[in-house]
Amino acid sequence: MGPIGWLIIVVIVVVVAAAAVVVVRRRRRGGSVIATKDKR
Amino acid sequence: MKLLMTASQIHGLPVVTVRGGEDVAEVRDVIYSPEAGRLVGVTLNKRGFLAGRSREVLPAEAIHAIGQHAVMVLEESSLVARDDAPDEVAHPATERDVLGNDVLTEGGTSLGTVSDLVLLVGGSGEVVGYQIDKAGGGQGYIPLPAQLSVSGVALVVPNITEEFVADDLVGLGASVDDFRARLGLK
Amino acid sequence: MSESFRGCRGRKVISRASASDLGVVSHLLVDTQRRQVAAVVIGSGRKTQLVDWGGLSGFGPDAVMVADEAALRPPGDDGERAAADGKLELVGKKALSDRGNELGKIDDVTFDADTGTLEDLIIGDRRIPAGSLLGCGSYAAVLEERQEDLG
Repeated sequence: MGPIGWLIIVVIVVVVAAAAVVVVRRRRRGGSVIATKDKR
Repeated sequence: MKLLMTASQIHGLPVVTVRGGEDVAEVRDVIYSPEAGRLVGVTLNKRGFLAGRSREVLPAEAIHAIGQHAVMVLEESSLVARDDAPDEVAHPATERDVLGNDVLTEGGTSLGTVSDLVLLVGGSGEVVGYQIDKAGGGQGYIPLPAQLSVSGVALVVPNITEEFVADDLVGLGASVDDFRARLGLK
Repeated sequence: MSESFRGCRGRKVISRASASDLGVVSHLLVDTQRRQVAAVVIGSGRKTQLVDWGGLSGFGPDAVMVADEAALRPPGDDGERAAADGKLELVGKKALSDRGNELGKIDDVTFDADTGTLEDLIIGDRRIPAGSLLGCGSYAAVLEERQEDLG
């Protein structure tokens, strides 16, 4: 495979890794302010 | 030291043990009671860049103190397993997230949308008011007890709340007392 | 005599029994409950050794005297290993109050060289009595909050 082929693979790997990090970071974020229901 | 903090300043704070000096978790969601006007607890994330949700939570009673840079607990065992925690902290009603809620007077006027919660930390975690993005633009603060009712989409407040929108946190402090006097509350 | 943690880094460690050179002081380990120097860490990396305060015959301005070479030991457990690696070292540690407010970074710690008792924690231009120290770990040293220490 020529150098261009390798470059494409590297780019794909980096993009997939970055996407995975974004997904994981987003799922963990939370940050809600939740109002309870019952009278206390 | 009593201090006004917003929920957004508390989100993400490390939870640190007094004896151990270790950051054992960080704050995920803030859970409060609009009726009682106080913090009920917080849910937790594990520490670390890619770490997920923690299986443990912190009911308000387990919190030693909340400060500008950390939430303090006495020791690691202060974190409570979900099964042992009160229901509203173990299984928070995430559909009742008030951020983005429309703030409506009972007469049907929108004052804006909820952008944050304001708490007095350093004492018993009293909720002082809401920060809102005003309908006309800019930021304002409305005092608690302001709401007549709250859901995941709207906050309904008495008509007179419209007169008590403060421009800053200092003003909020003043408006809370006047507001309560006006409503005939202590 | 008052000494400081920073000041004794690199000081020679000598055996009183044999007069041999045992290495140099890397840093000091602290017992936060009793607010005392617990042990002296000598050397670093694989060759790290500890000597408990009780194993010293004297902590002098020019050398730390160990009563007998036999008092030197490698770190005993994970806790001691972490401590020996410097993870629990007070100097350079974030100082956090027990109310959740950061006070700064610990620049130095003074102690009584005769008894090993900690005296003050130096944070910026403030001296905070070691009596305020409530605990120390890898994240921070936790100090009791006093109004005068804030900002």
